[in-house]
Amino acid sequence: MAAFVDLYTEADTFLHRMDPRVKIVAVLLLSLLAFLLSSLSYLLILLAFIFLLLFLARASLSRTKFALKFVLRFMVLIIVLWPIFDPSGSPVLASLGPIKITEPAIWRGVTSAARVGCLATVWYILMFTTSQRDLVRALVKMGLRFDFGLTLAISLRFLPTFGALIDSIKDAQRARGLELSKGGLVKRSRNYVAILVPTIVSALRTADMLSLALQSRAYGARSDRTYLRDLKMRASDGVALGVLVAAFVLPALAKYVFNIEM
Amino acid sequence: MQALHLRDARFRYKGSTGWAIDGVSLDVEKGEFVTILGPNGSGKSTICMMSNGLVPHALPGDLEGTAEVFGLDVRDHPVAELATKVGIVFQEPESQLFCMSVEEEVAFGPENLAVPRDEIGERVEWALELVGMKGYNDRSPFSLSGGQKQRVAIAAALSMRPEMLVLDEPAYALDPIGRIELYSVLKDLKEKHGMTVLLAERDGEEAAAFSDRLVLMKGGRIIKSGPPRLMLRDPEDLRSIGVTPPQVADVAHLLNARLMRSKFSFLNVDEAEKAIVGEIMAHKAGGGK
Amino acid sequence: MIPSAPSSTREKIVSVQRLKFTYEGGVEAIRDVNLDIGYGEYIAIVGGNGSGKTTLAKNLNGLLRPTSGSVVVGGKPTSEQNVAALARIVGYAFQNPDYQLFCSSVEDEIRFGPTNLGYPDDVVHNNVEKAIEAMNLEHVRKLPPLSLRLGERRRVSIASVIAMDPQVLVLDEPTTGLDAEESSELMQRLKRLNDEGKTIILITHDMKLVAEHAKRVVVMAQGRILLDSDPRGAFSDHEILRQSNLEPPAVTQLAHRLAAYDIPRDIISPEELVFHLMKAIGGT
Repeated sequence: MAAFVDLYTEADTFLHRMDPRVKIVAVLLLSLLAFLLSSLSYLLILLAFIFLLLFLARASLSRTKFALKFVLRFMVLIIVLWPIFDPSGSPVLASLGPIKITEPAIWRGVTSAARVGCLATVWYILMFTTSQRDLVRALVKMGLRFDFGLTLAISLRFLPTFGALIDSIKDAQRARGLELSKGGLVKRSRNYVAILVPTIVSALRTADMLSLALQSRAYGARSDRTYLRDLKMRASDGVALGVLVAAFVLPALAKYVFNIEM
Repeated sequence: MQALHLRDARFRYKGSTGWAIDGVSLDVEKGEFVTILGPNGSGKSTICMMSNGLVPHALPGDLEGTAEVFGLDVRDHPVAELATKVGIVFQEPESQLFCMSVEEEVAFGPENLAVPRDEIGERVEWALELVGMKGYNDRSPFSLSGGQKQRVAIAAALSMRPEMLVLDEPAYALDPIGRIELYSVLKDLKEKHGMTVLLAERDGEEAAAFSDRLVLMKGGRIIKSGPPRLMLRDPEDLRSIGVTPPQVADVAHLLNARLMRSKFSFLNVDEAEKAIVGEIMAHKAGGGK
Repeated sequence: MIPSAPSSTREKIVSVQRLKFTYEGGVEAIRDVNLDIGYGEYIAIVGGNGSGKTTLAKNLNGLLRPTSGSVVVGGKPTSEQNVAALARIVGYAFQNPDYQLFCSSVEDEIRFGPTNLGYPDDVVHNNVEKAIEAMNLEHVRKLPPLSLRLGERRRVSIASVIAMDPQVLVLDEPTTGLDAEESSELMQRLKRLNDEGKTIILITHDMKLVAEHAKRVVVMAQGRILLDSDPRGAFSDHEILRQSNLEPPAVTQLAHRLAAYDIPRDIISPEELVFHLMKAIGGT
C-alpha cells in the first residue's frame, strides 16, 4: 500500500538535490504551461522535456512503467473518442449517421491527449525525486501550518501500518468463515462491517495513544518551534527557478500580450 | 525535592465508579530506580501517567491528595511543562512513534521546546548512542523490530533531557531479543548515567535485579515496598498480588526452607550460580557434612 | 509433567510435507518444513521473530498456501480447500483479539463463526453455549466485547473460534498482556479442551509457558525446524535455543550453568532444581 503514495526512489541526481520547494513550483508552472500552450508541436516539446527529466531522475524502470501505464491508456482513449464526439471542421474523412470524423478533430484529440499526458506525468518528477519527509517540510516552509503538515506527515507514516492492519483483520475474519467475495450487495456490505468495525476501533485506539505521545513530547508547548533539518535554497536552485519562471512567462507574454499562439 | 511525591493520592477516571489508585503514598528520590509490580488494573499505569500530567489533564477524572512532580503540583501545571522534566515511554511501540524517520522522531521533543538547531543535533546523536541505535537516523519506524522501536521511543524521551524517565510496561509486545535489548538499556541508564527511573511491570523477572526499590501494588493500593532482596525473600508476597516472582527467587526461598537457613538471596541467574557453586565447593571441601 | 513421545502413534490431523513458503516481496519465510501433528496433541511451535512460526501457522488454515510442498489437513491438501472450509477443522485465534471483535454482545460475537459456516441453528446454539462455558464467559455474555478487559476479550476471541467446533486450535501468543492470574486461568481452560480431545497448537516465544503446558515442542529458526521433541529434550539443548533467539526459563539457564555439578540440563521448575541441588549440597 505504501507503494501507492511513496514513489520515492533514492538516487543522487540534480533533481534529487534540488530544493523541494523549487520542484513543487516547477510542477505547478509546468502544469500551467500545459494549459497555456495550444499548439501540438509545443505540447510535444513539453512532453519530451518532462520525459527527459524523468529519465534524468533515474526513476526505476518498473515504477515508471507502472506510472505511465494508466496515462498512456487514458491518452489513447482520448485520441480515439475525441473525433467521435467532435464533428466540426473539414475535411471529413469518414461518416456514419450523425458521427463525422474530421481531420481537424483528430488533431484536436491528439493535442488534448498530449496536454493530458503532460499534466499527468509532470507530478512524477516531484514524486520520484522527493521523499515524503522533504515534501511535507517544503509545504510547511511554504506556509502550510505546522499542525496541518504534521497531520499530513502522520497520515503518510501510518498508511502502510493501516494497510497491514486491514490485511490482518481480513485474515482474522476469514479464519471465522467470513467470505468477502460472496453474496449479493446487501450481504457483502454486512460482511464488510466485520472488517470496518475492528479497523475503526484500532484506528481510534492508535489515535488516542498518539495524542498522549504527542503531548508527552511537549507538542504545542511553544509557538516558536525550531527545526533540526532546514531547507536552504542554493545558487543552483535559484538558477533552476529562474529558468522555470522564464519558460512560463515567455509563452504567457507571447499569448496574452503579443497574441502569438504557441 | 523528590522526583515524584504522592501522599494519599486517589484518582478516579471520568465515568468510572472505582478508584484507579486508592490512597497511594509513594516517593521517588532523584537517582532512584523504582519498579512498580502489579497485575492488570492495579493502578501502576495511572501512576505512570500522573508523572507527566497526562493524568489528570489528558485523561480527566477526580484527583485527590498530594501529587507532585519535582515539586510541581500536577493539577496546576500543563503536560507541556511537566514533559520538560519527565519523559515517558508507553507499552505499544507502534503508536508512540509517528514520524517518518528515527531522526525526526528523536528530534521532535527538543524541536517543540525550541532548542537551538545545533544542540538538537547533538542531543539526537547522544540519545541514539545511549540506546544503541546509532546510525539509524534515516530509517523509517515501520522497518524496525519491536525492540528497536521501543529503544527509539526511549531515545525520543531522553532527547528532551528529562530528569526522570517513566516506562509503562515497555516490554509488553517484545520478543526475547527485544526484551534483553530493552533491559540492557535500562540497566545502563541506571548504572552509567544515574538516571531517575520509574518502571511499571506485570512480571518481576528482569527488572528486579537492578532496581533500587520494588513497589508491589494491587487494586489501586501499595501492598508493600522495599529493596528487591527484601521484597523477594518470600516469593509468596508477589504471588499473592498476582505477579510472577523471578524463578531464582523461588529457588533461593526453597533452598532456604530445605536447609533451614536464610542465607540465600538471588536477584538474577549470575548471583544464583555464584552462590550455589560456592555452596557446592564448600560442601565438597567439608567432606559432606 | 509427563513427557510424551511425538505423534508416531496417533492418527494425523495435519501433515506438512517439504513445505516452502515465500512472501510476495521475496522473503523466504519457510525453507523446508516437515511436520506431522496427531489428533489430540498439545504442541508449542516456538521461535523468535522471523523464525517462520506464524507463517507456518497461517499455512495450516489456508490463509497462506504453500509455494511448494504440501499441507494436508483432515485428509485433503489445503490447496484444494478454501479458508472457510478449513475453518471447520483448524481454528485460529489471533494474538490481537481486537482484530476480530465487532459485535454488540459476546453471544453474537461467538455466534458469528458457526453462522458463517452455515451450521444448522440448533448446532450453532449448542456450540455457542459450549464455547461460553469453556471460556468462562457466562457473566459477560450480554455485554459488548469491546468493553471488556484484555483477558476477557481474548477469551471471547478464542470462544468465537471454539464455537466453530474445529478439531485443531491454533493460538498465537495467547498470554501476551495477561497477568499471572489471567494467564493461568486461560491455560487451564485450554488444558481442559485438550483433555476433551482437541488438538492445541501454541505459537509463542514464552519458554516458561511452554515448559508448563506443552507436551511437544517444535523449535523454529529462519524458516526451518531445528528441533522437534518433548519439552525436556528441547530445554536441554541450550545451543539450539540460543540459535533460535529464545530464552530458556531462568531456572533452566541456571541448571545449564551447573551442569558440571551433575545437575541435569532439562530442568524446568524451581522445585526440580532444588531437589537436585540438595543432593549436590549434601542436604537431606
